[in-house]
Amino acid sequence: MLRFLAFSLRRAWQGFWRNALMSLAATATMTLMLVLLAGFWILQAGLLAGLEFVEQKVEVVADLRDDAPAAEIDALRRRLLAEPGVRSVDYVSKEEALARFRERLAAQGEEDLTRYLDENPLRASLEVKLADPRVAGEITDRLRNERIVESVIDIENLVDRVLTVTNILRMAGAVVLVVVGLIVLFIVVNTIRLAVLARADEIEIMRLVGASDAFIRWPFVFEGAFVGLLGSLVTLGLLGLAAEPIGRFLFDFFRILPLQLGSLARDVAIVVLAAGLGLGTVGSWISVRTYLLR
Amino acid sequence: MTMTISPGSGVRSLKDRLLGRPLPLPGEPRAVVRLHDVTKTYPNGRTALRDVDLAIPEGDFVFLVGPSGAGKSTLIKLLIRDELPSHGSVFVDGLDVARLPRREVPKLRRRIGIVFQDFKLLPRKTVRENVAFALEVTGTPGRRIRPAVDRVLALVGLTNQADQLPSQLSGGEQQRTAIARALVHDPRLIIADEPTGNLDPLIAWEIIQLLLRINELGVTVLMATHNAEVVTALRRRVVALEEGRIVRDEPRGAYHHDD
Ligand SMILES: Nc1ncnc2c1ncn2[C@@H]1O[C@H](COP(=O)(O)OP(=O)(O)OP(=O)(O)O)[C@@H](O)[C@H]1O
Ligand SMILES: [Mg+2]
Repeated sequence: MLRFLAFSLRRAWQGFWRNALMSLAATATMTLMLVLLAGFWILQAGLLAGLEFVEQKVEVVADLRDDAPAAEIDALRRRLLAEPGVRSVDYVSKEEALARFRERLAAQGEEDLTRYLDENPLRASLEVKLADPRVAGEITDRLRNERIVESVIDIENLVDRVLTVTNILRMAGAVVLVVVGLIVLFIVVNTIRLAVLARADEIEIMRLVGASDAFIRWPFVFEGAFVGLLGSLVTLGLLGLAAEPIGRFLFDFFRILPLQLGSLARDVAIVVLAAGLGLGTVGSWISVRTYLLR
Repeated sequence: MTMTISPGSGVRSLKDRLLGRPLPLPGEPRAVVRLHDVTKTYPNGRTALRDVDLAIPEGDFVFLVGPSGAGKSTLIKLLIRDELPSHGSVFVDGLDVARLPRREVPKLRRRIGIVFQDFKLLPRKTVRENVAFALEVTGTPGRRIRPAVDRVLALVGLTNQADQLPSQLSGGEQQRTAIARALVHDPRLIIADEPTGNLDPLIAWEIIQLLLRINELGVTVLMATHNAEVVTALRRRVVALEEGRIVRDEPRGAYHHDD
């Protein structure tokens, strides 16, 4: 068993270097395809983060009666926080509301008219930010029935529209990723098939002298895995080099998105390595099988 | 090159003693190859062999002759299980070839040394590596490979060319490399399909002499050939095929039917 493993690995290594041109061509194709895959994976992650960002913008705002006691407001706040799909609940006092209003006017360069008011006309409010925008309607209804709530702005239509668009985009993203994955699979498998075809003579001789299927198959499978590993390492190297300039360019963009760059990098590394090894192994398994089945 | 050609029977025990094989039972020698009522029809409907019965006892040297398309290569393919018979049974060295499970085919192939017209050497391996390859890919321990390879290279007379690539060899030397590879598993049977087809007459003779010498060591040899001169000169057993049938089987035959 150990001898078999040693034999297979040695033959795989030899096979790779004895057909260096073919192996490097396969590795280059593998790298190109993995870069493509990683690129689309990152785009997909960006898209998902962007959609999540948009969806998180959805918030239900409940204006409170002026006579609402602080204790009840606090109790309502806590009950809301316990609801599924609620991310945070912020209390905005009358004064804060007025301050914000003034800020907005100032930012727009308009004259501050509020100083002519003798009393604050704005209401205190609870801003319910949602983790899952689908609960917006339910939360709105619930708030309308609260005694201390004056009014809730109806956003259900808006939420529906946002969700329709984001879901379509999610689906499209997934479809594109699957299609890219299939293209990558097809091209890589065919490249390996060509590399194996170039050595059909070798396989024929092995069969002729009485090599068992395992002795024929595994060196090729290991070689394919090696090509896949090499391809993924080169890909990760390239991505590593590219990450710095691209990251700087996109930094501001990414910063506003709920995107963990660390975990994205980890995901991409795992995807590239798994895809490289998987494609290399499966590709050579399939390619050799054609010769063994005869 | 001079070489005495003696009938295989007396020398067979020498090889048996060398390999520690038991002596054959007295009486009829064991058949290394036995075909019974074999018919082969290819998927395209072409029948290449019809009702073939053939027994080759251990130690025989058999020429398989016949016009192009007679079915010689087909018969060989049945023996090495490259093809399956449509009807009938094929036994090689005691193995029921037609019913052999697929995973046991390597076992059969290791008992047969196979030689082809086109040598089938790996161009990027040296002579030594090409021969060692047959042992490596069948899981032979490394320390047993070197001595076995040296032994067969000496037998075919290629010790001095051991580290050359096939492209640096003459056709005859390439074929001798292939024969060394065929021998390295210590087969009881060598099957050669037109081994001299690509060689000029003088070199062809050398290859035949080598096969005869191997036969003298007790290895059964079955050789398909178009080389009339060699077949007629040697007067060994000749099996002639025509349109898939055995039309002649003579112990001391010629290439063409003797008038
Ligand atoms: N794989 C195949 N599929 C279909 N028909 C085949 C196949 N191989 C051989 N044949 C046919 O079977 C017949 C016998 O062929 P075979 O190769 O055994 O002849 P041969 O005696 O070896 O001829 P040659 O002396 O030219 O090598 C021929 O008619 C050939 O066309
Ligand atoms: Mg033929």
